[in-house]
This record gives sequence, structure tokens and C-alpha cells, in this order.
Amino acid sequence: MNIIVSALSFTYPSGVEALHGVNLAIAAGEAVAILGENGAGKTTLVKHFNGLLRPTRGTVAVGGWDTREHSVAQMAARAGYVFQNPDDQLFERTVQAEVMFGPHNLGRTAAEAGAAAADALAQVGLAAQSGANPYDLHLSERKLLALAAVLAMHTPVVVLDEPTTGQDARGVARISGIVEALKAEGRTVIAISHDVDFCAEHFDRVVLMAGGLILADGPAADVFARADDLRRADVEPPQLVRLASALGLLGAPLRTEQFVDLLAQARL
Amino acid sequence: MSAFSLYVDRNSGLNRLNPLTMLALIGFCLVAGLALPGAWAPYAVFLLAILPLAAGGRVLRPFLSAALKIVLPFAVSVTLIQGLFWTGGTPIVHLGPLSLKREGLIFAAQSTGRILAVLGSFLLLALTTRTDALMIALAQHGAPKSLTYIVLATLQIAPRFQAKANTILDAQRARGLEVEGGIGRRVRALIPLTIPLVLGSIVDIEERAIALEARAFSRSGPKTSLLVLRDSHMQRIGRWVLVGGMIAAVILGIVLRR
Amino acid sequence: MIDIQGLTYTYPASETPALNGIDLTVPEGQLCAVIGANGAGKSTLCYAIAGFVPHFYNGTLTGRVTVAGRDVVATPLAELAGEIGLVFANPFNQITGARFTVREEVAFGLENLGVPRDDMLARVDAALALVGLAGLGDRSPYALSGGQQQRVALASVIVMRPRVLVLDEPTSQLDPVGTREVFETLAGLAQAGGTTVVLVEHKPEWIAVHADRVVVLSAGRVVLDGPPAEVLAAPELSGYGLAPTRYTQAARLAVGRGLAPGDRPLPVTLEQAAPFFTDRVSP
Repeated sequence: MNIIVSALSFTYPSGVEALHGVNLAIAAGEAVAILGENGAGKTTLVKHFNGLLRPTRGTVAVGGWDTREHSVAQMAARAGYVFQNPDDQLFERTVQAEVMFGPHNLGRTAAEAGAAAADALAQVGLAAQSGANPYDLHLSERKLLALAAVLAMHTPVVVLDEPTTGQDARGVARISGIVEALKAEGRTVIAISHDVDFCAEHFDRVVLMAGGLILADGPAADVFARADDLRRADVEPPQLVRLASALGLLGAPLRTEQFVDLLAQARL
Repeated sequence: MSAFSLYVDRNSGLNRLNPLTMLALIGFCLVAGLALPGAWAPYAVFLLAILPLAAGGRVLRPFLSAALKIVLPFAVSVTLIQGLFWTGGTPIVHLGPLSLKREGLIFAAQSTGRILAVLGSFLLLALTTRTDALMIALAQHGAPKSLTYIVLATLQIAPRFQAKANTILDAQRARGLEVEGGIGRRVRALIPLTIPLVLGSIVDIEERAIALEARAFSRSGPKTSLLVLRDSHMQRIGRWVLVGGMIAAVILGIVLRR
Repeated sequence: MIDIQGLTYTYPASETPALNGIDLTVPEGQLCAVIGANGAGKSTLCYAIAGFVPHFYNGTLTGRVTVAGRDVVATPLAELAGEIGLVFANPFNQITGARFTVREEVAFGLENLGVPRDDMLARVDAALALVGLAGLGDRSPYALSGGQQQRVALASVIVMRPRVLVLDEPTSQLDPVGTREVFETLAGLAQAGGTTVVLVEHKPEWIAVHADRVVVLSAGRVVLDGPPAEVLAAPELSGYGLAPTRYTQAARLAVGRGLAPGDRPLPVTLEQAAPFFTDRVSP
């Protein structure tokens, strides 16, 4: 499902102007990472994708639905949003019930919701804990649980807010696998993240934001090669890009294999 | 996100008073306004004591704007409701089928006066006295440290609590929770909205307890303070005079009411 | 400075020990990073050094924890405060809420210790300068960014001149700018000298640059212990649920494909990686 953002400006009731005429078209099945420092407007932008915020000026359409004409509950069936802090949403007595909450709200039957929950829990690696109380899990597991709660809603668009913070290497590998699986299913995946190395490896397109504007937008390798824009957005290049540039290699390698290929070519 | 505080630093005489002296002054206004008999006593206290103090503290403008915003709607509604619907009163003004009753209007004037005196006193305290200074002063005079801590921390954490509640609302709506509509739907939405708030606060409280402990909060022995509270012999005498004034006002009120 | 002998600790509601036979000695002035998968016991180790395990959490503890010459298990928490500083992830929860300006917030611990006001002012200003917040003393701590708040928390602890500073994931809730601010402050603190630092952290690229030593925990035990260049490049790291930096990953792959010699230690930082890849395989 595609997302079309046209001339979007947004001003908070406090008077803070967070977005100044943003244009962005995301095609169905794209994986997009949105980078920028705190206050750049990333969260304000993605909160428009499920109608949590409505444009002050301009429009946002998700799969042809203008977000101003639909309730957040209706938009939730199209764009799932995984919040950064899982403790802002967990409330059920069991892990299984927590994951069934979303599908239930979308009108699925108990059997459908149960099956979706079981699948989602298996995907995040929490199948064995389905009977546990969410608050008995470690924070990093609660974060995976919040992710499962959105996966079970089977939304065509999935928005992830800082998915890797607080995760150890196994947790990051688990989330990477889920992003790849969503891409393979043709779903649209959008992430806000400060973890540039994770973004470089799993997101084909990078949108760089600063001061409520899009500074750069394009294939990850192109955007990560634009050192000046990255500096203006206060975003460090990924480790491999920094290494390639220190070695004078041309191009921005996103994965270790690509870096080693570049190295091999340079040696020839 | 800043703290929930009305204090404005005007470097005025009131700002320089010891917080306890300010507290005694406010206490006197409050007691005099409520204890003295007659519908006009609270107005007299407001006009002759609270308002001049606000002017002296250079906070007259914020004081009046806040006081009017709260008292005016109250005064209008209490005048209309009590004036029109006082049962068995003496009608003095006729408005078509309805009439304003004398007794109802007197009652409305009395309650408005009391609200004015009480609200005005607290507003004056909030505008001229730093809460932290007041709590430090109270703690130095033997108030329980944990109690003064709770008052201060609550004032500072309230805005954050509201921000957290908004985030929870967003997170649950994003999972398809319908929060608008009939009363039944709204009641059902309460559980997913309140439980994360309560459980999250419990986690926060545990962390806060550890952070306080790491800063030697429970250590016994003499404490010092970075904030210097000015006090003087005159102020100490003044406080006792004001306490005497409060007692006198209460006695006078009882005697005159007989 | 820190001497832990045979430390085993079990939380009250738990059956399996969170720490299982830990032996660890950290000399004065060392910056010792502790890494491990989630649930490995990192936070519990922090609490054990600062005395919150067992004093705050109860539970059963065997073994000995000695910090700055004091037996932590036998000393009440109130006496350990000031000697052992503790900083954790959430900056907001570390601000007391009882003081209205940054300067007063930083002074809170000194007030509780009964430090005379003149000393207090000098120490607070020195601590604020050390964390790079010299100009913000009169602001409300709640009006600051997350990275600045975390530095207020850091200043509030170091102003008490602890001999040991324990930090439990101090940058996990910060953006890259905030992370850089906190690490630069820690580096400054280590250079200013004397303070022994135990740092729990997930970000290997920062540990590789700043730590003197890295300890790996797994299931409550110390499984690796050594200098960052050695521990972060160790092949068994992934078995403990940890990932090395991309520099090490790239170097390992390059060695596997014969593009770099296999007889040299793998790089863990950018500074080490550049020469590793430019020095050709000797013919």
C-alpha cells in the first residue's frame, strides 16, 4: 500500500512548527528509513501515516485514503505503528491476550485473532511465553511483544519507531529478520532509527530530515555517500561507509559483503 | 517541559520575605476572610490586604487575570442559579416569568466573597513564593522530609504525567482502540488507557527511590542548603503577630456572630 | 578499588541466581565496560557494586563485595551513597524533582551529606563544567534535552566525589548527539583521574574506543575478560548473544576471503581498521 504526502506542514497547538511543506511518495512494498536528530520532525511525519496527527496544511493519503476523512481506528487497519516504549501500551494479563487486542479491535473473530497472535509471537520468538504476564518479561522482550501486537494486525504498512534500542545482538537479529520477512511479503516498512548500521543493512531507501524538512531522499547507498547532508542532519555515516571513506574506496558499502567486494575490486 | 509553578521572580519585597513569613501572611488573610462575620468581610480582606500585597509584590496583572478567570464564571453562575431559584425568597427584580430573590443574591455574594478570599490568598502565595523554598523552610522547622519531597516532586512531575497519558492514548488508538462514541465504548477504553499509566508509574517510583538513595536522601545527620533563606528578628516577631492576628480574628468572629 | 569474590545472588521471587560465582577485581582509575546479552546479569552486577543488591532488593547473597575498602553487604546504603555513584538509563527518573534549577539539583546530594554552602557552590560549578553544562546552572532541569538531563544526573553523582562510579546503560535512551556528549564526559572524567568506572553498555563501537577493559557476562557468570581489542574481536562473542563492531565483522570476512592476513589481531575501532586493510598481505 502506498503513501503520498503532499506539501505537508504541521504546527503543534503549542505553536511549534514541526514540518514545513514535506513531499514524499512511498510505493507499496518499499522499505524506508527516516533519519535525523531529535526534533528534526521524524515522529511528527510518521504520526500522520495513521492519522494520529492531521495536516495543518497539505494532505497525507494511505492507499488512497485521505487521513483527514478517516478515524485513527480506521487508519489502524492500514498502518500499524510500533511505539518506542512498550510500557506505553501493555495492559493485558497475558502475552497472548495482549497480541490479540489489535486484531480484536479490527473486528477479527476470536479464532482469527488467536491464530494471528500465535503467528506473530512465533515470529518475535516469544511463543513459549504466551501465557506469561507481560510485565514479567525483560524490557527488551516487552519491546518485541509490542512489535508482535502490531504484526498480528496484518497491516499493509508497518511503522517502527526506534526498533533496535535496548536490544542485544540476538534481539537486533530477530528484528532484522522480521523487517526482511515484511519486505518479502510486499508490505511497506518504515522505520525511524538512530541505528544507522541497522538501517544501512535492511532499508533500501533513506530519507534524511532536519528542521522539519527533507534534506535528502534516495537509495541508501546514495544518501549515505552525501557526507555534507549527513553532517547537516547531525547523522553519523554507518561504520562501513566511514571505513570505506578512510581507505579512499569509492562508493558507500551497506553490508560487510559489499565492503569486502569493494576492497577486492580496489586490490585488482 | 517545565515544572508546574506559577512563581514569577520580580525581586520584590515579597520575593525577599522568608517563605514562612509569607505563609503566615497568607494564613492571616485566609482566616480573617473566612472567620469575620458579614457578607462583606471577605471582600474587605481582598481589597484591603490581598490586592495591595499583590500590587506590592508586582504581580498585580497575572494575579488579577488568573483570579478573574476563575471567580467571574463562578460569580455569574452562582448569582443566576441562587438568585433565580431561591425558594420562598423576596423577589426584587422581575425577569418575565422568573424573578431574582434577595436572599439568593446575598448567598451568592457571600460565597463569591469566600471564593475570592481563598483563591486570592493561595494565588498570591503561588505567585510570590518559590515552592521549593517554602518546603525547605518547612523541613528546617521540623516538617517531615518525605512529605515536603512528595509535595515538590508531585508539582514537577504532573506535566510529565500528562504527556505520558497522551502517548498511551496514541499508542492504543494506533492499535485500533476506539475512544470516541457512546458511553459504553468510552468506559471500555479506560482499562487499556489507565493500566499502562499506573504500572509505568510504579516502575518509575522504584527507579526514583534508587536515585534518591544514591544521593544520600535517607542519610541522618545535619543537612545544609544551597538556597539561602533570608530571615530576621523582625520577621520572626511579625510571624507571631500574624498568628496572634489569626487567633484574634477567630475569637472576634465567634463573639460578633452571637 | 572493587574486589568481588565468589558473588552469587538470587532475587527474592526467583529460583535461578542472577549472578553466579562472580570474581572480579577492578583497580583504581580503570574504565571497565561490562557487556552481555539481556538477562545476563549486568544491571544486577551494577546494583551489587552500589549496594542496592541486597540492601534495596533483599534476596539471598553469598560471597564478598568490597568497594573502596568497605564491605558493601555489611554497610548501610546511606553510608555508601557518596562513596559509590550510580547512574542509570532513564534521565528523567534520576532528577529528584525537589529542586527547581540545575545548580540546586546537582547540590541535592551535597545538602544531604551536610557539606558547607561555600564548598558546595565551588563543587557544583566544577561538576557542571566537567560535564559541559557550565552555562545552564540557572535553568530548570526539566527544560533540558535528554542528553543534557543525563549529564545533569552524571554531575549530580560526581559532585559527591565518589571513588567508584557505576553506570547502567547511560546512553540507551539518548540519540547519537546525547551518546557522544555522555561518552566525552566519561572520557574527561577518566582523564581527570582517580575515579574507577564500571560501565554497562550495548554500543560496542563506543566501548572499543573508550574502555580500558571489557568484561563479558553470560547467565550470571564472567565468561570473557580483557582489553577491548582482545575481547571485542574474540570469535566466541556471538555465542554470548553479542555482536562485534562492523570493523571486526568486515575484517573477519576479508581474512576468510584471503584479502587480509590472518595472523594479526582483528581491528575493533576505525583507527585500527584503516591500517589493517591498507597493510597488504605480505608476499
